[in-house]
Amino acid sequence: MKKKYAYITLAILIVAFLGYQSVYFKKLNVVKEAKKENFNFKAYADSIYYKGILKSKKNIYLNDLIALVQANPETAFKNHGNRLGIGNSAYFMIKSTGKILDIKDGIYTIADEKNGIVYIDTKYIFGNAIRDASGLVKLTDFKTNAEFNKVSESLNDIIRNEVLPEEIKKVKIGDSISFSGAIKLSKKQNLFKDIIITPSQIKLQ
Amino acid sequence: MNISLNHPLIKKSQSLIALFILCLFISLLSDKFMTSTNLWNVLRQISVNVCISVGMTLVVLMAGIDLSVGSILGLTAAICAGLLKNGLVFESMNLFVGFTVLGAILAAMLIGMALGLFNGWVITKFAIPPFVATLAMLTIARGLTMLYTEGIPISNLGPEFEFIGSGWILGIPVPVWISLIMVLIVVFLTNKTTFGRFIYAIGGNERAAFLSGISINKIKLTVYGIAGMMAAVGGVLVTSRLNSAQPNAGMSYELDSIAAVVIGGTSLSGGVGTVTGTVIGAVIIGVLNNGLVLLDVSPFWQQVVKGIVILLAVIIDKMNQKNK
Repeated sequence: MKKKYAYITLAILIVAFLGYQSVYFKKLNVVKEAKKENFNFKAYADSIYYKGILKSKKNIYLNDLIALVQANPETAFKNHGNRLGIGNSAYFMIKSTGKILDIKDGIYTIADEKNGIVYIDTKYIFGNAIRDASGLVKLTDFKTNAEFNKVSESLNDIIRNEVLPEEIKKVKIGDSISFSGAIKLSKKQNLFKDIIITPSQIKLQ
Repeated sequence: MNISLNHPLIKKSQSLIALFILCLFISLLSDKFMTSTNLWNVLRQISVNVCISVGMTLVVLMAGIDLSVGSILGLTAAICAGLLKNGLVFESMNLFVGFTVLGAILAAMLIGMALGLFNGWVITKFAIPPFVATLAMLTIARGLTMLYTEGIPISNLGPEFEFIGSGWILGIPVPVWISLIMVLIVVFLTNKTTFGRFIYAIGGNERAAFLSGISINKIKLTVYGIAGMMAAVGGVLVTSRLNSAQPNAGMSYELDSIAAVVIGGTSLSGGVGTVTGTVIGAVIIGVLNNGLVLLDVSPFWQQVVKGIVILLAVIIDKMNQKNK
């Protein structure tokens, strides 16, 4: 009988020890606050934009990309496209040059030297175009889709509020500019007219 | 000394001889095979299958089968990663329960065991064939994994957890140590305990075992529970190795596991087989996988070759039974 109690006591001690080593309790609001402080989306997006997107040498010339998509869409998408799913569309980071023909509601109409008319939308910088086209942010690095999308928000904020205002100030209709940004293309796309670019940078030439 | 192919020693060492020939064959065709880096990598890879397969061996020894181990692995891996990363949240009580690495692993093992026990309960309570009961669990666990993860991997689980899958202790990969401990425990269970003898007795002749007073349902429950727990250990190894729980982790692992058991000489009819045989079977599967990759064989052909090897193992098993 004594042996039995000794076994039960030992089992309880082991379970208690393992339990103590296994879990810990905290107030939920404290954990939430700590998490907010732990991950600084702005700092992360700053690093992605200034150290990644801005310095990237992977941006392809728009005319080269269009030629490649027309000739061999599989290779173009594989080598230059970035996408999260398995659909036919992908985002690309492009660069090009052109002359500003018109500026209306933040939309710059550009006479691209090699691609005809393209549009740069400096007003509505929303969505995930920049994040996804850059290929620098992985979904698996984030716990939830909401957090993943916050990176897009922060990147868009940087471009909308920090980068473009300074650059836009310097340009006017008739100026020649160089620009880079994100576009979305489909493998089944035949027409490459009226391309709208979500800008990552605009420079007066 | 004249030793024929029917000599008991040869028969007993069939899988070991097959492994030796396989290694020899691959090392002749690829100079990368016999490098220490590759061999450690093979051992690290097979650790997962070894863990699942030793649990499966107990089930097969009882003339059962467990098709759910891959899905249980996936679910427990996801839960382990989820608890480690997100803990448990009780909004109404303003309470956060965090899990240490040990806690997350223990929780995964308990859940694996619970799922295995559920398999055992369904099989014994409703007299449902193990094939059907565990097939149902395969689907249930996979669905639960998708629900829990929302189809998205749970990543960045920290260096402590990653160490389990990628670390080294005394020059040997940690997963190899873990699988070795699991093997030793199950070898002890099968060879040195009455529980082990009961498993063989049930597999050999369930009716006779029942008449001799063995509590068959209890043994079956325990064995399926162990198989579920072993799958969970495999899940911990996979997750820690990738430092990420993938929603589709463990997909078709049950097949590799059954293959290892059969190649290792355990009879699908039950009652005959050893855990050490299964370990050799798992090594053969691992070496075969590695060899086919090194030899640049197409993944489609790899599946064909693996299938043929399993078929051969079953045919040899049947022939051995016939000869007896």
